[in-house]
Amino acid sequence: MDISFALTGKGYVLIAADTTAARSIVKMKSDEDKIKVLSPHLLMAFSGEPGDTVQFAEYVERNMRLYHIRHNHELRPPAAASWIRRSLADSIRSRKPYAVNLLLGGYEPRERTPHLYWIDYLGTLATVPFGAHGYGAYFALSLLDRYHDPEATLEEGLATLRRCIDEVSKRLVVSPGKYKVKIVDADGVREVEL
Amino acid sequence: MPDGSYAHPQQRQFNPYTENGGTILAIAGADFTVIAGDTRQSEGYSIQTRYAPKVFRLTDRAVLAVNGFAADGNMFVKTVKQRLEWYRHAHAKDMPLRAIARLIQTMLYARRFFPYYVYNILGGIEEDGSGAVYSFDPVGSYEREACRAAGAAQSLVQPFLDNQIYFRNQTPAPGTSHPTHLPLPDVLAIVIDSFTSATERHIEVGDGLEMYVVLAKGRSTQELASIRGAQELTPKEGGDRIFVIRRELKKD
Amino acid sequence: MSIMELNGGSVIAMVGKDCVAIASDLRLGNQSLGISSNFEKIFAMTDRVYVGLPGLATDVLTLREQFRYRLNMYTIKEEREIEPETFVHLVSSALYERRFGPYFIEPVVAGMQKQPNGSFKPFIAATDLIGCINFAKDFVVAGTASTKLFGVAEGLWEPDLEPEDLFETIAQTMLNSVDRDAFSGWGAVVHVITKDKVIKRTLKGRMD
Repeated sequence: MDISFALTGKGYVLIAADTTAARSIVKMKSDEDKIKVLSPHLLMAFSGEPGDTVQFAEYVERNMRLYHIRHNHELRPPAAASWIRRSLADSIRSRKPYAVNLLLGGYEPRERTPHLYWIDYLGTLATVPFGAHGYGAYFALSLLDRYHDPEATLEEGLATLRRCIDEVSKRLVVSPGKYKVKIVDADGVREVEL
Repeated sequence: MPDGSYAHPQQRQFNPYTENGGTILAIAGADFTVIAGDTRQSEGYSIQTRYAPKVFRLTDRAVLAVNGFAADGNMFVKTVKQRLEWYRHAHAKDMPLRAIARLIQTMLYARRFFPYYVYNILGGIEEDGSGAVYSFDPVGSYEREACRAAGAAQSLVQPFLDNQIYFRNQTPAPGTSHPTHLPLPDVLAIVIDSFTSATERHIEVGDGLEMYVVLAKGRSTQELASIRGAQELTPKEGGDRIFVIRRELKKD
Repeated sequence: MSIMELNGGSVIAMVGKDCVAIASDLRLGNQSLGISSNFEKIFAMTDRVYVGLPGLATDVLTLREQFRYRLNMYTIKEEREIEPETFVHLVSSALYERRFGPYFIEPVVAGMQKQPNGSFKPFIAATDLIGCINFAKDFVVAGTASTKLFGVAEGLWEPDLEPEDLFETIAQTMLNSVDRDAFSGWGAVVHVITKDKVIKRTLKGRMD
């Protein structure tokens, strides 16, 4: 079961996802990147049904790229979220729905605001200050309720993220070993080491 | 088959329980308790009777309301009354309310694996003269509270009671506080409103309303005098007193 | 696992004297897990028509988009704003179109209906998930706390409440009902609509 967290801070969004690719009880891979860079200021963590996840993430990625090329302008985070949500909402009532859950983090350079969206496979979209998918949500959300600060510096944000990851490692029976953490802010997207 | 045997496996089942609708409710005051129930008894969409009491006087200071499966309820009240009579013979006095509550728990839990399919609410006067309500689940978990609704319209009535009795979500004016107990006329008005509301929106509630009022020893009956048709059930003595008030509810 | 109770949430609308009010909770959940405490379910369709959409959250958003689209088409064709009663029929037909694969939403509409003489009359209505309309004179409820809302509203509501009294009535009804419902709560929002203005208030509620 994939685990992903995301939280906003002062001028940035942090997204973390585990890096294990498992089939049944077997760990097939331990350095899988489950956070896509959709555009210069947009990140998307994806989890769910193996196969669907990468297919859908790449579908979104190419459409975001297409929009960027056609309009010479990247889709703003709220617009991207609406488009992705609609894709999933249409998909859920189709013959073979995508079973993919997402955390979409973006930064709007013009208004200098971070955006974070929690999206599930049904097409539910919620604007949140922090979010999580998978079993990690049951541990992380209560910690984030307590420690999240929308005005936190990057160091403080990373410390909060660390708390979530540590708690999951400590208490979850099937906890994953490694996480990849990415950030999106005024400087664009980059990977950060915890 | 011709020989009387079956071609296919047969399955039979007997369901020993049914739900008979209705709602009960009890509210404790400082020195009184009101225990009420509607009188409709139904099964599915059919009304079996418009007058089947769900509230019963146990002693001069205890009243029991029983809701759920009527047959179990009646049997349960019968056995509780029997146990209270044995207690009277053994101790030459009525069992105190908190003891009745504990008795009901043990009686319900004795049937843990074939329970009486009933929700009980016990109301009355404690030995210290305070009004009390005890509510039970079908297997005997119980708690003393200031008010409780149970039965078909519990979900309609209980949040209303939270608001009107416990003053939930209401902020008292600066320098004041909410009363811990309401006066009897207010309580009766809330009970009547609760049942007319439940009758309006729930098909299993209606026909008649029976409200038992238990007054602590020495308490004035002044407030009851103005209530239409309040009828005393206890012989006029120096003890606690029980009155019953009946009202019509809509029959549709 | 009931689809109608997957995300939780409740809406109520009430009629007052020359005003209507519509209120909802703010919770979005995944069964027992709370996801968001600012998920609004009430949307302005025009200045005088509001719709509450409790039910499956994905359909809340899909229907909001669809109503906006249909409303824009109506406004362009008719060259006027829609009236609440007309809007309810629009809602009803949109839902009935999906009769055998419905949207899992029970909409509640509240608004001020323009009368032939130019005055405004309070209007509320609700439909089930396939669009059967309930035109009520007093109040309508929907969502996971609907039974509680029915009970409390039946006890607190009275005819011809002034806007401020109607606000108090609907706010108390909402708060006390969602406190007894595990799937609703986490704050609430109330809109009081009169002929010339709408007052929106966000209520603090229990966070458990």
